[in-house]
Amino acid sequence: MSEATAKTTEAKAGAAFEPRIAAFVCNWCTYTGADLAGTSRIQMAPNVRVVRLPCTGRIDPMFIIKAFERGADGVIVSGCHPGDCHYSAGNYHARRRFAIFREIMSFIGIDPNRITFSWVSASEGRKWGDVVDETVSRIRGLGPFAGYKNLVEKTHAGA
Amino acid sequence: MSRIGVFVCHCGENIGRTVDVARVAEAMRGLPGVAHAVDYKYMCSDPGQAMIKQAIAEKQLTGVVVAACSPHMHEKTFRRAAAGGGINPFLCEMANVREHCSWIHEDREKATEKAIDITRMIVEKVKRNAPLTTIRIPVERRALVIGGGIAGIQAALDIADGGREVVLVEKEPSIGGHMSQLSETFPTLDCSQCILTPRMVEVFQHPRIKLLTYSEVESVEGYIGNFKVKIRKKARSIDESKCNGCGECQKTCPNRRIPSEFDQGLGKRTAIYVPFPQAVPNLPVIDREKCSYFRGKAKGSKKEVCGKCRAACGRGAILFDQEDSFVEEKVGAIVVATGYRLYEIGKEQDSELLKGYGEYGYGTIPDVIDGLQFERLASASGPTSGAIQRPSDGKVPKRIVFLQCIGSRDPAKGIEYCSKICCMYVAKHTMLYRHKVHDGQATVFYMDIRANGKGYDEFVRRAIEEDGARYVRGRVSRMYRDGDVIKVLGYDTVNGTPLSIDADMVVLATAMRPQPGIQGLAQKLSVSYDKHGFINEAHPKLRPVETNTAGVYVAGACQSPRDIPDSVAMASAAASKVLGLFSNEELEREPTVAVVNADLCTGCFHCERVCAYGAITRKEIRDRNGNLVKVVADVNKGVCQGCGTCQATCPSKSLELAGFTDDQIYAAINAFAEL
Amino acid sequence: MQELRELAKKLLAEGAVKVVVGYAEGRQGVRPIFAATPEDADKLIFDPRCVQNLATYLSPRRAHVAALGKLAVVVKGCDAMAAAGMIREAQRKRDDFVLIGVRCGGVLADPRASAAVTEATVAARCPGCEVREPKIVDHLLGPLPPAPPGASALDARIAELDAMTPEERFAFWTSELAKCVRCNACREICPMCFCVRCVCDKSQPQWIESSPHARGNLAWHMTRALHQAGRCVGCGECERACPVGIPLSLLNRKVARVVAERFDYVVSDDPEKPAPIGTYRLEDDQEFIR
Repeated sequence: MSEATAKTTEAKAGAAFEPRIAAFVCNWCTYTGADLAGTSRIQMAPNVRVVRLPCTGRIDPMFIIKAFERGADGVIVSGCHPGDCHYSAGNYHARRRFAIFREIMSFIGIDPNRITFSWVSASEGRKWGDVVDETVSRIRGLGPFAGYKNLVEKTHAGA
Repeated sequence: MSRIGVFVCHCGENIGRTVDVARVAEAMRGLPGVAHAVDYKYMCSDPGQAMIKQAIAEKQLTGVVVAACSPHMHEKTFRRAAAGGGINPFLCEMANVREHCSWIHEDREKATEKAIDITRMIVEKVKRNAPLTTIRIPVERRALVIGGGIAGIQAALDIADGGREVVLVEKEPSIGGHMSQLSETFPTLDCSQCILTPRMVEVFQHPRIKLLTYSEVESVEGYIGNFKVKIRKKARSIDESKCNGCGECQKTCPNRRIPSEFDQGLGKRTAIYVPFPQAVPNLPVIDREKCSYFRGKAKGSKKEVCGKCRAACGRGAILFDQEDSFVEEKVGAIVVATGYRLYEIGKEQDSELLKGYGEYGYGTIPDVIDGLQFERLASASGPTSGAIQRPSDGKVPKRIVFLQCIGSRDPAKGIEYCSKICCMYVAKHTMLYRHKVHDGQATVFYMDIRANGKGYDEFVRRAIEEDGARYVRGRVSRMYRDGDVIKVLGYDTVNGTPLSIDADMVVLATAMRPQPGIQGLAQKLSVSYDKHGFINEAHPKLRPVETNTAGVYVAGACQSPRDIPDSVAMASAAASKVLGLFSNEELEREPTVAVVNADLCTGCFHCERVCAYGAITRKEIRDRNGNLVKVVADVNKGVCQGCGTCQATCPSKSLELAGFTDDQIYAAINAFAEL
Repeated sequence: MQELRELAKKLLAEGAVKVVVGYAEGRQGVRPIFAATPEDADKLIFDPRCVQNLATYLSPRRAHVAALGKLAVVVKGCDAMAAAGMIREAQRKRDDFVLIGVRCGGVLADPRASAAVTEATVAARCPGCEVREPKIVDHLLGPLPPAPPGASALDARIAELDAMTPEERFAFWTSELAKCVRCNACREICPMCFCVRCVCDKSQPQWIESSPHARGNLAWHMTRALHQAGRCVGCGECERACPVGIPLSLLNRKVARVVAERFDYVVSDDPEKPAPIGTYRLEDDQEFIR
């Protein structure tokens, strides 16, 4: 934790927990929709860090695992609506992949509410803001997901 | 060790107002591998870009990160600047701290923290960026056009007139398509053949068009700029080099009662025939299923049953033993223009979706015909020489009922879409009818009138106001034969009254459907099609004549119902796309494509299945003795569009999408949180 | 039994195959045997103790087996599905090998115990099996025994887990997976794990942490379950091979059920039926996407 972050946390000790959220978005719809949110000055929670990929088809479930390992409390995966994919079908493949991965996570005991899957088009700046705010407040309710990141210590402590 | 330069932009006040840009630069200076980090008022300005170029030289930067606006705004600008500074442009990326940060947050502290995170993530990514170079692919500057209707003819002529060679393939014995069957065309009522036949002759005589009629595409290999197409020339049973089209053979043919396809079954033809007098090329073809000679042979008869045409031919051009032959053509682009056919209302349908029209007698009432049949009746070259006569007894019908939307816009019958041309041609039919039968009464049942083209609505109004067509808004529930008349039971939804009309003839505006076999062709070309079989365009708004397979274009009614002006416009658009592609000897493509690690590839080909572009092919790896070691995936750089779906699908991660490699994304995720 | 031995001898004598891979008596129950001679062929057996999935010897990774020459493999239905999977995924061609199918009435949960197949002794995966008479095989031997009795214990266990809270499930799996020593036995024995380089061995970048702590183990087993979606034949060999007893079949079975429910796809021994990952339907459910 950086000094700055530490200070902020200290200043708000006992106050609201600030979730860290990673977002994996496609370049053509959601990233552009998020750009539109910017040009429209739509205010939203500052907790989300966006990773830009060409297509939801490129978004590998391992990105999500890695984000949790690195301390993310929540994840957003977002791309083009069905029928709008710039590459015609990447989002359909992603939809199947995440339909299964989400069930695996849930079965393992990772609350699926930690992840938001959404379709946000290039014209849905407002929706992007809503997805961000809604996710942040939901994750705020769920609390930190340190349990995942700290699994390493758990094993070693147990060993 | 990387030497990354970070340039944080104030964007005037746009970023600086909310984000402490100096602190962002300061934070970046503390990262390993960052050799230089500064902030500046306007990075995109000339002095800003000059700063980047100068820093690349002075600090020997190996990568550049510009923390400013969206890459959609200025990625090109800064990549050009980076290239100007002497490094590969793909070593430069943007961190979006304006649209994704300063403009959407008010809390300066939190926005600054976020801007630091965003920039750090991109810095970590750029450390792992590799230099990429534009891909160049040689282009075979010849085109294949599939389908010789008006769309195919227009595309072929435009490309050929543009200076490039064209191979035009038509599966029927003559080019011309449905347009050659039409009587007169809306909204001008000019004669279809008068405007079409000169174009057909032009195709035939064009020095740069190679015309292959009675031929079909057998297989397609390759990719944009480099297709190899195998074409089956079906046996005409005619020596094309000897035949002079004199027509003596047809005169002697004993089978004279075969329903003519060109006349939609209303006229007759012989077994050896030219489909219509203006056919191009003017060469006959033997219909082997109907010809006595071939039927006799098929039955096993040792003696020749017939052979009159061969005897009649003064040039020895009849070749009963001719076989299908194949030609191979190398082309750089393909235009699909296979056109349409009409919904047949009969009981037997070729698709599970379609139901047929039992309420209209499943096509068994002889004086219930479709729009194309009416065209033939109205055509001067048709079976009645242009006289409107009913098929059953040749009487001139005094009352004709026209029904629109038969099959179209009727999900219950399997088709939701509007066939687009029917409103117009029905109006045209009522006019042609009145012009020929002055005391005739045309009644039209319609759902809405969609006359949205130049001069179209005026045309429909003319049919109603000047030519006396009676338009009834409503549907017909049932039709049956009652002696000499057809009882048409319908409902007038404007007046709210049921109607019973006695008609002498009924014309159904049946739905337009894609040609049979279009799915097979689409699969050969690896282009997608909708559930009805219409070819999908690459983008419904912005790429209407391209398909999702690079180098394959689409024109006319094989993409969706189209009238002649639309088909011609699409064909010209496709031709201009082809000519654009052919304007350079080499094709340049973005280098952000997938690359296979052949050592690691297991050859499961999940990637091949997810690729929407058919960019993944199978490559055999052989040892030095030529023994097959394994088969691996290979990406065709000319075809790959860089979506990366293959990489996420590959279980062993043996493919990498350049510009978005696992290493780069991993680094960005790792930098997500500062530890 | 005699039928199997005669067939094996005939195939060897005719030179149709070099080796018949089947089951024979071993010191601890049944073991695989590579029969290349008539004497060896006479040792072949098949009974409910034959739990091993011998199709794994067809894996292209086992070059030492391929070097023996053309194989005939004795397969139960589940094993035949693995052979079909390798064909489906372009790893082997159908005429590369001979499949000797055996009609199956279920195998034992504990192959070392010589017992009849009853509701108490049957392997958890067997009840409800739909491939007791594999279709893809070249030969199909033996009479069809009665169907395995009872209901799958796996399904019951999955229902229990599904009823837990996420926290309870997380505690269950992290404690199970904390035991994993990353010996990779689950992967090595799996007939459908045939990557030249497994993703868990990828080091640049290292998506899956290599040291055996619960976090890396979780990443590994989640990823493996994902990679097996629509591919796992449910033979249970991963779990049998696991030296620390992690109930991997639960995970695989759960995924198979998700795939069946969502995509209407059940793994079969039809090599032409494409897996659900790699394709899609426009109308796939997307209730989890907002």
